[in-house]
Amino acid sequence: MSIDIGTPSLRTGTELVPAADGPQTGKEFTSDQEVRWCPGCGDYAVLKAVQSFLPDLGLRRENIVFVSGIGCSSRFPYYLDTYGMHSIHGRAPSIATGIATARADLNVWVVTGDGDALSIGGNHLIHALRRNVNMTILLFNNRIYGLTKGQYSPTSEVGKVTKTSPMGSLDHPFNPISLALGAEATFVARTIDSDRKHLTAVLSAAAAHRGTSLVEIYQNCPIFNDGAFDAIKGPEADTHLLRLEPGTEVTAGGRTWAHDPTAADPADQFAVSRLGDTAGPLGLGGPIPIGIFRQVERPTYDDLARAQVDQSKAAVEGTPTERLTRLINAGDTWNVGG
Amino acid sequence: MSLGSYPITPATDILHELSKHKSFGVTTLQAEDEIAGVGAAIGAAFAGSLGVTTTSGPGIALKSEAIGLAVMTELPLLIVDVQRGGPSTGLPTKTEQADLLQAMYGRNGEAPVPIVAPQSPGDCFAAAVEAARIAITYRTPVMLLSDGYLANGSEPWMIPDVDDLPLIDPAFATGPNHVSKKSEDGEPDEFWPYLRDEETLARPWAVPGTAGLEHRIGGLEKGDGHGNISYDPANHDFMVRTRQAKIQAIAKSLPPLEVDDPSGEAKVLVIGWGSTYGPIGAACRRVRRAGYHVAQVHLRHLNPFPRDLGEILARYDKVLVPEMNLGQLSKLLRAEYLVDGIGYNHVRGLPLKAAELAEAIGQLVGQAEGIDVDLGEHGLNPPADHEEAPLS
Repeated sequence: MSIDIGTPSLRTGTELVPAADGPQTGKEFTSDQEVRWCPGCGDYAVLKAVQSFLPDLGLRRENIVFVSGIGCSSRFPYYLDTYGMHSIHGRAPSIATGIATARADLNVWVVTGDGDALSIGGNHLIHALRRNVNMTILLFNNRIYGLTKGQYSPTSEVGKVTKTSPMGSLDHPFNPISLALGAEATFVARTIDSDRKHLTAVLSAAAAHRGTSLVEIYQNCPIFNDGAFDAIKGPEADTHLLRLEPGTEVTAGGRTWAHDPTAADPADQFAVSRLGDTAGPLGLGGPIPIGIFRQVERPTYDDLARAQVDQSKAAVEGTPTERLTRLINAGDTWNVGG
Repeated sequence: MSLGSYPITPATDILHELSKHKSFGVTTLQAEDEIAGVGAAIGAAFAGSLGVTTTSGPGIALKSEAIGLAVMTELPLLIVDVQRGGPSTGLPTKTEQADLLQAMYGRNGEAPVPIVAPQSPGDCFAAAVEAARIAITYRTPVMLLSDGYLANGSEPWMIPDVDDLPLIDPAFATGPNHVSKKSEDGEPDEFWPYLRDEETLARPWAVPGTAGLEHRIGGLEKGDGHGNISYDPANHDFMVRTRQAKIQAIAKSLPPLEVDDPSGEAKVLVIGWGSTYGPIGAACRRVRRAGYHVAQVHLRHLNPFPRDLGEILARYDKVLVPEMNLGQLSKLLRAEYLVDGIGYNHVRGLPLKAAELAEAIGQLVGQAEGIDVDLGEHGLNPPADHEEAPLS
């Protein structure tokens, strides 16, 4: 049996999160902790972009929570002066689900990497996406395991030579965008660590989206996978990039269409995600699409869960004490003695 | 409260039941797996709810790393383990008490977790309230060790008066708690997430949305007080000892044990924990009805032990420890008190049988007192006028 759970009015973006009293600065969002990534790491650029961009959200700093798993990128929360939790490997989406479901007034972010999100935490990622819990997931994809010093990751290309694959990696990689679309995510985008303007624009749209937003960020690891994205960063970058905007003309499989991230049917968006052969070395298989692949509205799990609680509360009478008394006196009861 | 759970026999009924009680503000999340269940509960705890996760032994194994995270982040978390026969998938529908050492030690590193065990179906309510009290007061994950026998059993339950239930105050942090060098008036002007209460050693619970208390926690070792990442050797040693001391400090809040020793002349003490309370009590009464002396004490708190336990154990010549495992409480008692407890161990997936246990107690009483013990009809020998049930 299934019943209609109702269609509560769709909420937008961050409307339930209290607004800041006045303008805020990036400095206010910067903690006093020393940033400890390798010199030249792409994570610095993303951190700087996020610290600069967060004030523009106009939300109270104390109502923002960053949750991460394990990996280089997962040190991210320590560097932001918000609430934060550096959790355990792969589990950040589940912890963020608990936070977002418990509190409507929080703006929840997950910072994760290709190993954290797609390998050890793959299960939690797809289930967060299908549930559409209100959180923004930043997936730093450097196509390598950095913190453990250079093993192939679930996004490394086949044949990748690493310490654990001296004869070349045998694993066929995930395309995180295709994976997220397959999990019926409501917001899916890709951007690049070195393109501050694009990164900020995509993050703004992701933060404004109500539901799970997945943003794949191509991020260079200068120590263990240097230059993995050079083809789409250098002077000829634009010949290797397809910058997606609503209406961008896309040709694939002998068909040309105008990209529509808001289309309910993800088939065309999935076709876009297949462009550019992200399974191989980037840049060799045609232009790599960046930008927003999908952006659709669907009620979020946490809004629906809170609505059921509210609905249940509205349907009962009496004080909590009276109701608890009624509950524990229900069923077979009898008086003993006098 | 927020429950994160994944269906597993024999614990699923708790998820079923709580899913009906949303009107009390209960949120239930049927997670994608055991780890996500505890993860969501930890997230909810960080956000200011009582995080709860319910499972059985195999689920505890999967949740162990996350429970360690809750130990490290010192967040309130209630973990219910409705034990079943193990190891592995074991006997899913049968009862056992073999998760005690898993609850006690089943994590990497020094990760102490308080353990509370209900003794009967009707005691589960009060034991859950007690576990929640410890979790919230001491900012720690707490293991509530039930089992299949309790989960599927029933008995009359004295309905409590709601007004008599203890009020458990989360005492959320509301403002700065530390005086920094920048403070001009000597008043606290910054928030230190690992500055502890002197009495309980609990750290403050500062929930998101509280201005000025922004902080970051995580699984990496924390510096004492300020809570920033610390690899300092002396700090780690101190923090490991402090987390242990915090759990030990819970013992100060526990009531004295009640020893059932009606004659006061017993030389044998029977000590148990959890669902064996019923059979052990019945066995002791059989021994007494047959004219012999025996004392019984039953543990609700397995970690930390009550403060008077050592002294009680020392009072008796012989200590019998009946358990539905191969002697897990015996090991803990021996380690803690150097008591040479004698195990009575059945792992048949069934509750202990009072008559069989009574015979074992009787034998021990005989040894302790140097007498011949015959329980007669109070043991395994049926009374002379006993009639077998007619075969149908």
